[in-house]
Amino acid sequence: MDLFLQYIANGVVIGSTYVLVAVGLTLIFGILGVVNFAHGEFYMLGGYAGIMAVTVLGLPVLPAIGFVLATSAIVGVAAEAILHKPMKNRDATSSIISSFGLAVALQNAALIAFGPQPQRLQTSFSTIPVEIGPIFLPLQRLMIPIMMVVLISVLYVVLRYTWTGRSLRAMAQHQTVARLCGVQVERVAVVTFMVGAALAGVAGMLMSSVFLVYPIVGNMIALKAFTVVILGGMGNVAGAAVAGLVLGIVESLTSAYISNSMRDVVGFIVVILVLLFRPQGLFGKAVDRS
Amino acid sequence: MRNISLSLAGILLLALLPFGVGGYEVNVAMVILFYVILAVGLDLVSGYCGQFSFATGAFYGLGAYTAAIMNRDLGTSVFVNLPAGALVAGLFGLLLGIPALRLKGHFLAIVTIAFQTIVYLIISQWTSFTGGQVGLTMANVGPVTVFGVTLFEIASLRAYYWLTLVMTVICVFAAWRLANSRLGREWIAIRDDETLAAAVGLDTTRGKLTAFVASAALAGIAGVLTAHSLRGVTPDDFTIWISATVVAMMVIGGRGTFIGPIIGAIFLVLMPEFLGRFAEYKMLIYGILLVVAITVMPEGVVGRLRQRSAR
Repeated sequence: MDLFLQYIANGVVIGSTYVLVAVGLTLIFGILGVVNFAHGEFYMLGGYAGIMAVTVLGLPVLPAIGFVLATSAIVGVAAEAILHKPMKNRDATSSIISSFGLAVALQNAALIAFGPQPQRLQTSFSTIPVEIGPIFLPLQRLMIPIMMVVLISVLYVVLRYTWTGRSLRAMAQHQTVARLCGVQVERVAVVTFMVGAALAGVAGMLMSSVFLVYPIVGNMIALKAFTVVILGGMGNVAGAAVAGLVLGIVESLTSAYISNSMRDVVGFIVVILVLLFRPQGLFGKAVDRS
Repeated sequence: MRNISLSLAGILLLALLPFGVGGYEVNVAMVILFYVILAVGLDLVSGYCGQFSFATGAFYGLGAYTAAIMNRDLGTSVFVNLPAGALVAGLFGLLLGIPALRLKGHFLAIVTIAFQTIVYLIISQWTSFTGGQVGLTMANVGPVTVFGVTLFEIASLRAYYWLTLVMTVICVFAAWRLANSRLGREWIAIRDDETLAAAVGLDTTRGKLTAFVASAALAGIAGVLTAHSLRGVTPDDFTIWISATVVAMMVIGGRGTFIGPIIGAIFLVLMPEFLGRFAEYKMLIYGILLVVAITVMPEGVVGRLRQRSAR
């Protein structure tokens, strides 16, 4: 039983990462209709930014997180300028191709800049153990779900109660009508990419204490995030949050009780079932037909 | 007529290529041929029929693994594997086509991405059947026999290159016939306006499914050829990045044009080779070029040229 709780806790840690990455992905899709292949690279850059902040700049953990949020947001602004701004009034293909190109470019830029060897983030938090009942986690790992809850709550409040959030949701519902009602579409697009990149970047930084950072680390994470986005329903933020946690826990339990090699298979079995029976996702609304 | 003589000249040139260049160049030419089949196949479903697919890599892998597994368990030769690979990939194409009937645009893209991911995970995790992450190795193609009589031997790289060339020509010709048939025109009608196509009495279900199957079967053939050429398969040869690369080839060349994806395939395979001196930077340059190309020329090279000449 104690071990079971520990596995759940490990699953929550991994799942929180999925949530952070997938929520950004689903936001960018839901609001702007951009299927962002370069999202895993936001995660990867966040990891490197974290290592830079801690080892080169010597920042403590919390300012380092702030640093990562800021740099990731800048990456998001740049990504919007490349992936969305020039692609207005074009079909989905253009931004998908473009984001694929951006992903390749960023991965190889990181390879040249940081080298292929995996790097690990060591902070003052990694040696502090935290015990909650039978569960044991280093404080640095515990930071992942904590930051996830904080950031997703902030995001929820912003989406729900601020003008920016309202215009974001208006865009998600109908772009033309939103524009007619005075929503500044260009600004909304930039904000969406900033938020998406910042969430993924923080996930990358926090996870680099558990998994290592290397130039192509984003591939697998992006794959998992796409799984979560499908499970949660495309464009559905709450769905992505729940699906991300569920996927993390299911993966953790599978590798503990069934076998480690089944870990990645479980996610896709669920995806097949979901696609067969609820193609709109577990929490999605049915897709309109023309 | 001019097009036919140009294509014949191109094929002849490719056939004579192994006499003029070394083994490395022949290998590069073979990779180009694989990608030509993939890009032309994808163009049928995405360019002509307008159904977005990010699963080319999956069908490519299904073809390759069909060849490798049949070769391992049944000892079949490349000539048995080719139709088998096309059949298996085509059946899975039908499987993917069914959910695709209900979905459009981004949703379809996501479903094909999911399908691609599922296939990748199966071939990388089902170790007892597919060899897992390590993949499978295959024997040489060896002598080709019909009823016990050895017809010819495909031992050298050169001979295998010619086999690949012949298969590519067959595939491209078949795709060209399809695209210019009544079915091909139905695909274009579905792409341009599905509601209208259904209203004038076209069977859009049949149209979409045939496009998916044709595209998948061609990718399967490319997979079989690749598996035999590499003498083995690994899951990482069939990732979503392959799918995205093929999409990029089609788009850069020109969607919905026949020659465009072929040009795109040649260009994108050759480009890293010419960047050879900047080996370290070649993938970086490749990525940047992709972004720039799609931003300034979304209709592709051939599409842009046609627009200009139409003006």
